[in-house]
Amino acid sequence: MTLLRAKDLTKRFVSRGPLGAKAAFTAVDRVSFDVRLGETLAVVGESGSGKSTTARMIAKLLEPSEGTLEFEGEDVTRAKGAALARFRGNVQVVFQDPFSSLNPRHTVERILMAPLVYQGIAPHGSRRAHAKELMERVGLDPDHSLRYPAQFSGGQAQRIGIARALAVNPKLVICDEAVSALDVSVQAQVIELLRRLQHESGFSYVFIAHDLAVVRQIAQRVAVMSKGRIVELGTTAQVFGDPRDEYTRTLLAAIPRIDPEWERRRRERA
Amino acid sequence: MARYLAGRAAGVVLILFLVCLFTFIIFFTLSPDPAVMICGKTCTPERIDQIRGVLGLDEPFPAQFLGFFAGIFAGRDYGEGANLVHCAAPCLGYSFQTNQSVWDMVVERLPVSATVAIGAAVLWLFIGIVAGLLSAVKEGTWWDRAAMGLALGGSSIPNYVLALALQYVLVVQLQVLPFPQAVPFSDDPALWFQSYLMPWLVLATGYACLYARLTRANVIDTLAENFMRTARSKGLSPALTLRRHALRPALTPITTIFGMDFAALLGGALITETVFGLNGVGKMAADSIAKNDQPVIMAVTLLAAFFVVIGNVVVDLVYTRLDPRVRITAR
Amino acid sequence: MSDLLVVEDLTVTFSTARGPVDVVKDVSFTVGRDETVGIVGESGSGKSMTSLAIMGLLPKGAAARGTIRLDGTDVLGASPRELRQLRGDRMSMIFQDPLSSLNPYYTVGLQIEELYRAHRGGSRAAAREVVVGALRQVGLPDPERRAGHYPHQFSGGQRQRIMIAMALVCSPSLLIADEPTTALDVTVQAQILRLLADLREQSGMGMVFITHDLAVISSIATRVLVMRRGEQVEYGTAEQVFAEPRHDYTRMLLDSIPRIDDPLDEVSA
Ligand SMILES: Nc1ncnc2c1ncn2[C@@H]1O[C@H](COP(=O)(O)OP(=O)(O)OP(=O)(O)O)[C@@H](O)[C@H]1O
Ligand SMILES: Nc1ncnc2c1ncn2[C@@H]1O[C@H](COP(=O)(O)OP(=O)(O)OP(=O)(O)O)[C@@H](O)[C@H]1O
Ligand SMILES: [Mg+2]
Ligand SMILES: [Mg+2]
Repeated sequence: MTLLRAKDLTKRFVSRGPLGAKAAFTAVDRVSFDVRLGETLAVVGESGSGKSTTARMIAKLLEPSEGTLEFEGEDVTRAKGAALARFRGNVQVVFQDPFSSLNPRHTVERILMAPLVYQGIAPHGSRRAHAKELMERVGLDPDHSLRYPAQFSGGQAQRIGIARALAVNPKLVICDEAVSALDVSVQAQVIELLRRLQHESGFSYVFIAHDLAVVRQIAQRVAVMSKGRIVELGTTAQVFGDPRDEYTRTLLAAIPRIDPEWERRRRERA
Repeated sequence: MARYLAGRAAGVVLILFLVCLFTFIIFFTLSPDPAVMICGKTCTPERIDQIRGVLGLDEPFPAQFLGFFAGIFAGRDYGEGANLVHCAAPCLGYSFQTNQSVWDMVVERLPVSATVAIGAAVLWLFIGIVAGLLSAVKEGTWWDRAAMGLALGGSSIPNYVLALALQYVLVVQLQVLPFPQAVPFSDDPALWFQSYLMPWLVLATGYACLYARLTRANVIDTLAENFMRTARSKGLSPALTLRRHALRPALTPITTIFGMDFAALLGGALITETVFGLNGVGKMAADSIAKNDQPVIMAVTLLAAFFVVIGNVVVDLVYTRLDPRVRITAR
Repeated sequence: MSDLLVVEDLTVTFSTARGPVDVVKDVSFTVGRDETVGIVGESGSGKSMTSLAIMGLLPKGAAARGTIRLDGTDVLGASPRELRQLRGDRMSMIFQDPLSSLNPYYTVGLQIEELYRAHRGGSRAAAREVVVGALRQVGLPDPERRAGHYPHQFSGGQRQRIMIAMALVCSPSLLIADEPTTALDVTVQAQILRLLADLREQSGMGMVFITHDLAVISSIATRVLVMRRGEQVEYGTAEQVFAEPRHDYTRMLLDSIPRIDDPLDEVSA
């Protein structure tokens, strides 16, 4: 079943040049895709290819210049009021820049509880206990619930963003580079959590990432973007095993690897 | 941009129309009969009817209101035949007390209020921002604590207390300043300055205290931003780091507040003008309220609303220039 | 030849409401000229605090103890003036989280230009040219026009490259890069790594490179420092750390790397 359908989404940014001349730049160009219920769709691609812009459009944080957006079969492109509030409750975003997306004047506890308050949801148990539980799930020390964002490291701040998105039990979570600042072991733990939630509660994810190995682990389908367009969209096995597009092939070829000789020696010792 | 401006302009007109309508309802239909007021003590029913006719008070409410509203833009005639009086646009009627054209009264008094407002604004911006900035940079030191303590105290002194105290000390006791009078600058610059000094000080005190606290809080928040760390990592001089990277982000939100405060002041500083006997819009408002001079009350209300609404638009436009993230881009 | 950067027994302490907390404990390492030291480790293990301490930019409430010497200059004991001369010119840093690290009120061109002019002087026009060149070097498309744009008008990876261009504009002898390529796709990342390697070879730039991407570290670092909970658990040549890790944590880390060639499990069915 289709949860979200984006059709011909286009975003043009207009900027003023030095002489007052206006220049329109098409950051996202007629992008269409579906997100099915309970699936993970990964979006990978060139830096500056329009991944975050697409994410902001499907989260309704940015008005598309053209195109339509459907959520659960309902056209939400121009949704307002109650329909928009419902949409916001169902769709959560983990942003690419952790510090800029957390209110510096609020404690973690308050940040984590804010979505619950907006949506009018009462957590089981007290708010404080709920916040601590969320922190624990993403590997943060629950004793730090009264700290401010600036008192955390980059990867810790990123996990606050993840915990906030999971707080309201959304149907769709859009993760924009959500695990890029995490060390591999914490990353594995967070990915495991995301997967478990998918199994238990049927979450869908739109997972934007540059780490192709992570993408390969977590996604069922992959969209590859370059210069504002989706150049390839297919199952994970197909995109990684039999890439059709030239850009996808370049991308796969550029993945850095640890010297295989070192790897072999390490395995032998173990 | 053009579409945005057109939208805002339509909004302004609509709001001013509604303000007009409500003040008209309040002052003309809910207050004592104007004709009786004008007529005074020695009055006959015929005389009242005559006044009603001239002012158009015998007409139904919509016609009365339209007459008033149209008068603002097109002017209007009162009475007929030999008694006809033409009131040129913008017509706000005539004072019941002095029979003067209300518009002329406004034009005459507005410069006084503007002088008071501008002078005070310059003072409070300067003092408030400098004190706030110093406090923020020296956060936690004795200077910071003293300045903020003073600011907290200063903003809780009522204006009339400060005005009376200043007047008593400077004019009556020490006699270093003359009693304020609204002389134009061109007549006697020295006297002009001396006359306005006290009103400026009185008005500026409260605002300066408020702005010092606002500035301090904003600068402290900005200094903790990650981009300030980047600025420090560049090895820029501390002065440049502070001026360029901290001041602009910290002061931008203050322009919004300042715009609204200033616009409100242009509509007249009631208490200060009255205490110092300056013939500005504020004193005119106080006098007209005391004497229930309805056309004048309406005019000052409209004027205040006008400044606030226009101030709002200006603030928004200025803000979009100051903060690149909210610049309006046409789609 | 003496080492470019010497860090000895560096300890960073935060004074918190519950008393002092050491977030970096007795870390020691050296960076030679044209050498790259990679720092890897747990999220929150004190990697960023270590680099901020070297720059003398620790946040309020944090204090550093130990020794940090850049080219013989004692950084921890330097006067503010001496520090200012070092920063941006002799040593520079690429910060984690580029969006919040750029001032939203100024164009990126100006933000790089002011750094260049603070140390090299010259006219604005001349500086502008250098800036455009620096932006081109990191692969930002259309650098002449984009120098006049504000940070929010760029993508995450573009901002990261702007931070890199800024750090490199004065050709520092020491570059501290805190996760400089997390927002870059692998092709652009490869391009940036090549650029950094070239600079290292040509101008002898020393580098401290922090990342979670162990494959990147293995390809760029000469020596590797592994951190956990503020402590240095392992320090050695890249080959030794990757091929013969001594500490359990390092081994665990290397085992958790998701590998592109691993067989896929049930999810993708
Ligand atoms: N507000 C804006 N004004 C003008 N151009 C913009 C704006 N926001 C984004 N862009 C441009 O649109 C393009 C797409 O940006 P987007 O952030 O979607 O890229 P991305 O795929 O997320 O890249 P990355 O992987 O680097 O984060 C970029 O070239 C960017 O410069
Ligand atoms: N202001 C503060 N007060 C108290 N503790 C702090 C403060 N700022 C940071 N910390 C703590 O210091 C520790 C080290 O932070 P640091 O930013 O150096 O981690 P990191 O290794 O860079 O992690 P990451 O990979 O997630 O960026 C973290 O555990 C963090 O919670
Ligand atoms: Mg992005
Ligand atoms: Mg860090």
